[in-house]
Amino acid sequence: MRGRGHACRAGLGAGLLLALVHMGAPASAAPARTVSYYTTEQAQRGEGAYQQFCAVCHGASLAGAFDVPPLKGRFVTNWSGATLDRLFDYISKAMPLFSPGALTPAQNADLVAFILRENGVPAGKVDLPATDAALKTMMFPVISADRVK
Amino acid sequence: MTGFDDNQKIRRSGLKRRDLFAGSLAFGTLGARGMWNSVPAAAAALQRTAVGGTVPRLVPMRAHADQITDIKVCLRPFRPAGPRLDVERVGDKVVIHNYGHGGSGWSLSWGSADIAVGKAASLSPRRIAVVGCGVIGLTSALSAQRAGFDVTIYTRDMLPHTRSVRANGSWTPDSRIALTAPAGPQFAEVWEQMARYSWKTYRDYLGLPGNPIDFRDNYTLSDTPFEEGPEPEGRTGPGDYASTGMPRATSEFATYGDRIRDIIPAPELLASQDNPFPVAYAQRAPMMMFNFGAYGHLLLSEFYQAGGKVVIREFHTPADMKSIAEPVIINCPGYAARDLWGDRTLIPVRGQTTWLPPQPDVTYGVEYKGAAALSKSDGLMIQAVDLNNVGEMEGVGNSFEHADRAESEKAIAVFENLFARFPAGRG
Repeated sequence: MRGRGHACRAGLGAGLLLALVHMGAPASAAPARTVSYYTTEQAQRGEGAYQQFCAVCHGASLAGAFDVPPLKGRFVTNWSGATLDRLFDYISKAMPLFSPGALTPAQNADLVAFILRENGVPAGKVDLPATDAALKTMMFPVISADRVK
Repeated sequence: MTGFDDNQKIRRSGLKRRDLFAGSLAFGTLGARGMWNSVPAAAAALQRTAVGGTVPRLVPMRAHADQITDIKVCLRPFRPAGPRLDVERVGDKVVIHNYGHGGSGWSLSWGSADIAVGKAASLSPRRIAVVGCGVIGLTSALSAQRAGFDVTIYTRDMLPHTRSVRANGSWTPDSRIALTAPAGPQFAEVWEQMARYSWKTYRDYLGLPGNPIDFRDNYTLSDTPFEEGPEPEGRTGPGDYASTGMPRATSEFATYGDRIRDIIPAPELLASQDNPFPVAYAQRAPMMMFNFGAYGHLLLSEFYQAGGKVVIREFHTPADMKSIAEPVIINCPGYAARDLWGDRTLIPVRGQTTWLPPQPDVTYGVEYKGAAALSKSDGLMIQAVDLNNVGEMEGVGNSFEHADRAESEKAIAVFENLFARFPAGRG
């Protein structure tokens, strides 16, 4: 398990280059500054899109089902170590399963923001960007044990 | 103890008596015309495909007190707010709790394990420890392995010595799982998630050699009609949990069965010609059940085959968790959490099963006069589920974990009498 201090990520600003902090650094070495992954408003928009397009399969609480992947818990393990453009790209191309690619880039970014919130990533002051180029600089964050839902 | 069922509860939760009559205008019409003996007509009304006059051939149960091979007693780990599933830090360890499933541990085990493992996976550990090797611990360990983690079980006892196998072992997912008020509406959602996930997982174990998981036709018998109406209050004292710290009436207990009735076989009322019992009224419902021996060995074999390790260790305080090497721990001590974790919200609910020699040719269960009998691969199990007519309050607060042979003999007598009157021509 990684230290919870690693949840903090250095950032330079809104949608701009964000420093990639590698996953294995000791907690004491983590920068004090915090990356803004998404805003409260964005996650709320994402929640609306989620309930409209995603909850029918993944469940209202993101728990999945026996044959549908959960979007919490094991989801973090599956995506940790990847940059967020991979997740954004996957959602953009493969989801919703019944109509892949039907959502706008902004909606997909909102969905990623909502998923991050539901997995215990705190909100920041800047929206999650909706482009591969910007997301390529952001790692899927480590979840603090105190925020496991 | 987990998974100790009671068939009264099955009937109350989702398989309620009144459900038999849902949409049953045709029943009433038939009854008014005196056509209950007309099996094809009754079958048509039910849109069934029963052959007229078909009476199931049932082998009688040999229920006699001098055939007792074992009496098992356990304490269901009942928490009024429902099972504990929160996350806690102990030193540098992260402890994910998974205990307190009342009489629903066997039934909910896979779904509850999935939730606990999901929380563990949020932290992306490589190795996970599981404390406890009852059915909750074992399914948590297997679920963690299936999620890709290296797993070690730390336990005082292996499964055959745990309270889990002193249960009844049948599908009773909302038996003494919570009280409606303290659990709140949010738990109902969690419960449904657990129940559906478990049900699907159990289906994967059907039809395997040794029948680790199986179905039985379960007959509920009554000398009087199954009537629609309020359930008995089952009150044992004044007040309620909020005012006394203990539940006082059956009506305080949560029932969630209706939420999954779309996947659980419904009971059906038998027409008199199809009733093989010497009792006026009978209903039949297929019921999933767990054969402890075959299933327990299978789970443990799977765990070892996937590279799992077991360390025999007894823990005395939460601080002892710091001695565990793994950074993330799924805590599954069952009723032992009352002392180990100081969880005084755990209320013991005593349950006792009596075991007679296996009768493999008996392939059903019966409930009658507050007693239940179920033919399992490791024995004919007989249980006093509600001889005192207090419903869910039976055994609540009772931590006497020793055999009461008189109780066993009373329950056996119900079936000894029943099968002494069993119609030979139909048996």
